[in-house]
Amino acid sequence: MPDSNLDKMRAELLHGLDVAKKQGAQGAKLSFGRGEAISCSFSAGRLKDTEVRRSSAYVIEVLVERKRGTTAGNDPADLPEMINRAISLARVGSPAHFSAYPAPAETKKVKKYSGKTVKITRAGLIENCGKMVDALKRYNPDLFIEAQGSRSVSEGLLVTSGGVSHRFEDTAWSLGSLAQKTEGTDMLFVGHGHSFREVNDFYNPDLITERLLFDLKHGEKIVESPEGRLPAFLPPEVLGMFLWPLVLGVNGRNVAKGDSPLRGRLGEQIFDPGLTIRDDPHWDFSPGAAEIDGDGIPTRVMMMVEKGVLKNFLYDLDSAGMAGAEPTGNRGCMPYSPEVLPGAEKSGDLLASIDDGIFIRELIGYGQSNMINGDFSGNVALGFRIKKGKIIGRVKNTMIAGNIYDLFKKDVALSSDRDPMLRLPSAVVQGLSVSTSK
Amino acid sequence: MKDRLVSALKKSAADYTEVRFEINDSNSITFRGQEIDSVSSSKLSGGIVRACTRGGWGMAVFDSLEDLGNGIREAGEGAVLVGREKTELAETAGPATAEVPARLERDFRGVSLDDKIKILSGYNTILLKTDKSIATTQANYSDSFRTVHFASSRGNYFREERPRVILALSAVARDGALVQRAYDAVSSKTTFNVVQGLEALAEETARRAVKLLKAPPCPGGVYPVVLDQEMGGVFAHEAFGHLSESDFLYENPQVRDLMVIGREMGVKELNIVDDGSHPGLLGTQAFDDEGTPTGKTYLIREGKLVGHLHSLETAAKMGEKPTGNARAIGRGVPPIVRMTNTYIEAGKMSFKELLAGVDRGIYARGMMGGQTMMEVFTFSAAYGYRIENGQVGELVRDVVLTGNVFQTLHNIDGFGNDLKILQKGGGCGKGGQSPLPVTDGAPHLRIRDVVIGGK
Repeated sequence: MPDSNLDKMRAELLHGLDVAKKQGAQGAKLSFGRGEAISCSFSAGRLKDTEVRRSSAYVIEVLVERKRGTTAGNDPADLPEMINRAISLARVGSPAHFSAYPAPAETKKVKKYSGKTVKITRAGLIENCGKMVDALKRYNPDLFIEAQGSRSVSEGLLVTSGGVSHRFEDTAWSLGSLAQKTEGTDMLFVGHGHSFREVNDFYNPDLITERLLFDLKHGEKIVESPEGRLPAFLPPEVLGMFLWPLVLGVNGRNVAKGDSPLRGRLGEQIFDPGLTIRDDPHWDFSPGAAEIDGDGIPTRVMMMVEKGVLKNFLYDLDSAGMAGAEPTGNRGCMPYSPEVLPGAEKSGDLLASIDDGIFIRELIGYGQSNMINGDFSGNVALGFRIKKGKIIGRVKNTMIAGNIYDLFKKDVALSSDRDPMLRLPSAVVQGLSVSTSK
Repeated sequence: MKDRLVSALKKSAADYTEVRFEINDSNSITFRGQEIDSVSSSKLSGGIVRACTRGGWGMAVFDSLEDLGNGIREAGEGAVLVGREKTELAETAGPATAEVPARLERDFRGVSLDDKIKILSGYNTILLKTDKSIATTQANYSDSFRTVHFASSRGNYFREERPRVILALSAVARDGALVQRAYDAVSSKTTFNVVQGLEALAEETARRAVKLLKAPPCPGGVYPVVLDQEMGGVFAHEAFGHLSESDFLYENPQVRDLMVIGREMGVKELNIVDDGSHPGLLGTQAFDDEGTPTGKTYLIREGKLVGHLHSLETAAKMGEKPTGNARAIGRGVPPIVRMTNTYIEAGKMSFKELLAGVDRGIYARGMMGGQTMMEVFTFSAAYGYRIENGQVGELVRDVVLTGNVFQTLHNIDGFGNDLKILQKGGGCGKGGQSPLPVTDGAPHLRIRDVVIGGK
């Protein structure tokens, strides 16, 4: 970090709190963050660009007569004006469903900063991207190949009128690649990437390439798409995507406002008893790792669905007040690192158990439906047909549709092995609606 | 500002260097249900330097102009590290210096926060009170005033103001566990007045959410489909427009072959245009973010591919002219090849004539979203109707269309005479930059054999 001096910044933010109070605010919270990132990208199989990015931001929220106003900026010279503006916005602003920002409470220490990640250099990123590109070129020199790598280091502060003064530092890396094969008007896209806060075994170009080669090889042959209600194999990242409607449904603000179809249904069996889904912000070095939320409330492990039963909604300070519930330390009422607990069988055995079905790797348009209702639909941008327990080739012009609350209600099998970077298993679901144009 | 940017650029040793510095003032008010959910305002400034040496790019992103010199040095060093070939960039057309102030018929910066809240509150009340099954609402007003300064080592400089105001209304109707949402929005870069007088729109939006509760899901299958102008516009943008963006083509020989000029892409009546200079539209600007003046580009004419969309680099490498389509969503991100205002030109058929050709099909209306993975597209209508024997029938929900663009462009068998370019909220997403202001348009279109996803 360039001339890191967070103590001076803390003093400025604390001064800002005083100024806000003197101008009539009953409460305030001020946050500051800054970061530096380096990245490189390869296009058409060769190094195309590198970037250095430095950015910072201030966010101020004030409470005036139980109304809130928010301003954001990135020039420290604008701080006094931002406070003035926040106060004038709050005078007409949104009703606050809490009377004060809470006092500091004990937080669980969560690791987010890794010295090993800080040491990632631009040359190292370029070398790793180059390895992915070379391996893919060896497989097929006609592929159109892209690769990206990045490393970032950030730090910041949150001070509130409740007495919270929290400092954070974090790091992150990402590595990914995609390849495209074009034959006539057929285009096959495959892509994969990893990101984490600490350099671990998955900061490894070979693992990413391995996955791309799996998809390229299985995608070489185009086969007839199945139709009707079929079993589907959902690899971990696709299972994660299928759970988006649940994330919207347990969002405490959606619950309090009446948008969520799960409102009033705590304790109800909503999914197959095999499904247990919880949020773990205390998972060290995960992308979602967090000690406190944006109001200074400690985070906690939250059970969302236990053995298929809806257990909890996720609340930030204001939404909890609105719903008459306790805040759960979830910023924006969203989970940090949602995970699905593993099942009994190996993913390979689950796949082998399918007589005729579909393996979904990539969907487009998934989020375009009435998602909060649980509805989904999508075009299978990359998917394979499974016959007699084996992948026999790639399907095209295939749509799926359904509702997750129907699909996950029963007959869901989860794998015992999980993607360690996502903490999600693979799943097999029954009766997925598949349509196709021949 | 001009002198500061130009003089800093003189220190660059790269083959080509540009700097873009932006200041963006924005405001947002949201009602959710009975009350205001948030009121916020932001002022963010920052810039990006891009340097090119021997064909390699180095970029540096910064917040403060004090870091400009450092950014030019770092971008230059990055470019040297990357460059192994030859810098090929088309010449920059247009004037050396330009000032393009916003032309606002009514400037939203002159309207008080109280008045904006009052207008929004009025619509929110209509949304809430239209029917007892409305569970909640969302009404959002936002405006932004973006000032862009651009200078390049070729001696070009422009300053362009890019204002925008958006009003978005949504109603959620609920019947037990069934939740249906209806949405509509308006947007303008020329006047605040566009967000006034929308009481009927608010009521219609709420009524639609209520009606969707009773509507059955659209059955899956393969149907003839009539698209309204909004869906037709999304089709032009999503299904075809992205394929014509040359950053996807210029270094990819197989796709270049596929998108070669002169290729027969669709039926003879098909004309598709991108026009970043069309007066007053959201995708319109005087210059793109490399300093090229925007213009009108035919992409398909009489069914044949006649043009691509370009940046300076893609134009030079494909031996074509820059089209002014290198656009960045804001400060701190590089320009990439993007559409502006993209539309299918009108044909001759009336809406009635289009319907008359359909015995059993779907009339898809309004847009919920669209996405493409090059040849494959998928888009969701906000709602639809069955068509039976040439007549519009029952309302249906969950209308999701998908297909292969190369087949579908040949399957359009009816072009309406009612072209409309829609200016709504939202925008286009690509390369992590979203939402970029664009517009889409089309006349009513009739397409054979469209796959509709259904349960």
